[in-house]
Amino acid sequence: MAHEDYKAMLPARALSALDAGEAQALNQHLAECAECREELASWERTASALALDAKPMEPSPEVRQRIMSAVREEKDTRDEKHARADNDARVLPFAPVRRNVWRSLGAIAAVVLFLALLVGLVVLWQQNRTLRQQNELANILSEPGSRLTELKGTAQASTATAKLAYARDGRALLLATNLPPAPAGKEYQLWFIVGSNPPLPGKSFAPDSAGRSTLRDKVPRQALDSAVFAITLEPAGGVDAPTGQIYLSSGF
Amino acid sequence: MYPYFGYTDTPALRPELSHKNDVELLKAIAAKDEAALGQLYDSYRLILFGVLMRILNNREEAEDVLQEVFLQVWRRAGDFDENRGRPFTWLVTLARSRGIDRLRTLASRERVAVASAAESREEVSDAASDAIRSERFGAVNSALADLPDEQRRPLVLAYFDGLTQSEIAVKLGLPLGTVKTRMRTGMIKLRDAFGKSSLFGGS
Repeated sequence: MAHEDYKAMLPARALSALDAGEAQALNQHLAECAECREELASWERTASALALDAKPMEPSPEVRQRIMSAVREEKDTRDEKHARADNDARVLPFAPVRRNVWRSLGAIAAVVLFLALLVGLVVLWQQNRTLRQQNELANILSEPGSRLTELKGTAQASTATAKLAYARDGRALLLATNLPPAPAGKEYQLWFIVGSNPPLPGKSFAPDSAGRSTLRDKVPRQALDSAVFAITLEPAGGVDAPTGQIYLSSGF
Repeated sequence: MYPYFGYTDTPALRPELSHKNDVELLKAIAAKDEAALGQLYDSYRLILFGVLMRILNNREEAEDVLQEVFLQVWRRAGDFDENRGRPFTWLVTLARSRGIDRLRTLASRERVAVASAAESREEVSDAASDAIRSERFGAVNSALADLPDEQRRPLVLAYFDGLTQSEIAVKLGLPLGTVKTRMRTGMIKLRDAFGKSSLFGGS
């Protein structure tokens, strides 16, 4: 085929409408013909005008949110990667070549430094979490009329204890220690018991590996003034009425 | 640096010369400016989503691809070369090719049949969208509308349905040679209309 024949294919190629055989032949020609490459770019611009044949339509607002949060996430990982590259850069130059030993020592140092940073991060994160809890606790307790109630372990868990702090608006924070690990498919659940009424369900939770638990919940209005608080073992996710044994209670 | 103007910043509200701003926006995006991406999205979502809906004929798929397109813009804004074309062309080409890719993945030719049955002139005469389009795209838009149907249809089938020339010939019951000629003639008319628009740039 001649140059002119290929040229004639360019508009269709810009619409990606060539059949496979022609497309392949043209690709080969494009690889060696700058003029055709240039002309193709111009036809591609022309093809984009066809977009105007579509009626503009409004996507749902969630699309924008999804894009922006994906972008933010990507940016964060990128920044992390850069930070890590910076660390490596700081370590590697102090292993000035000559012998491979130094190079591997440098690599080891980089790994050690990285691990140290990682451990540091975890520790900070935990401290931060503890601080946040303490802060929350202080926050609740500093409000007028707030209360702090102690829950004692029953025969099921005699060493377990818990404290429940709650404010007049119902905001509550439960901190429990020494609860045995919840068996698979089970979780602990908080209950509010007012008089002889059926217990009102609170949220369910599972202790961490050290037997500590933190739970944010809301004390129902009718339980704010006088209530017994209890914790039972229930199917994971919680239930509407208690079915399991009591592990902790503020006393009957 | 790039204030966020909210959802109301549609192409209809921006003059045709907005490509200058758009080039700046793309540069800012290449430098990882999120607000700039948001602004570009606000300007182009209507037209790009319209194109994707026309290709895919399915809201969920079209929204998914629209998201993909803007994530690609985020990652590859640095590849945009203002000497080779306008932001409009770059974005539309990206969206269209992603849309066609998705269409092929879905491999549902029935969908194409439904979509092209829905392809019609009444969309063009829709008053509201006409206003948006003609305000921004002037000459090009009328060139498209003025194209005789016999030239417009094969172009539209290639562009929105991703059909090849042979497939178009079968679909329209025309000889392949006729389809080729009509597509070429149609494209030449569109190209000539471009001299009158600053949107697409270059020649």
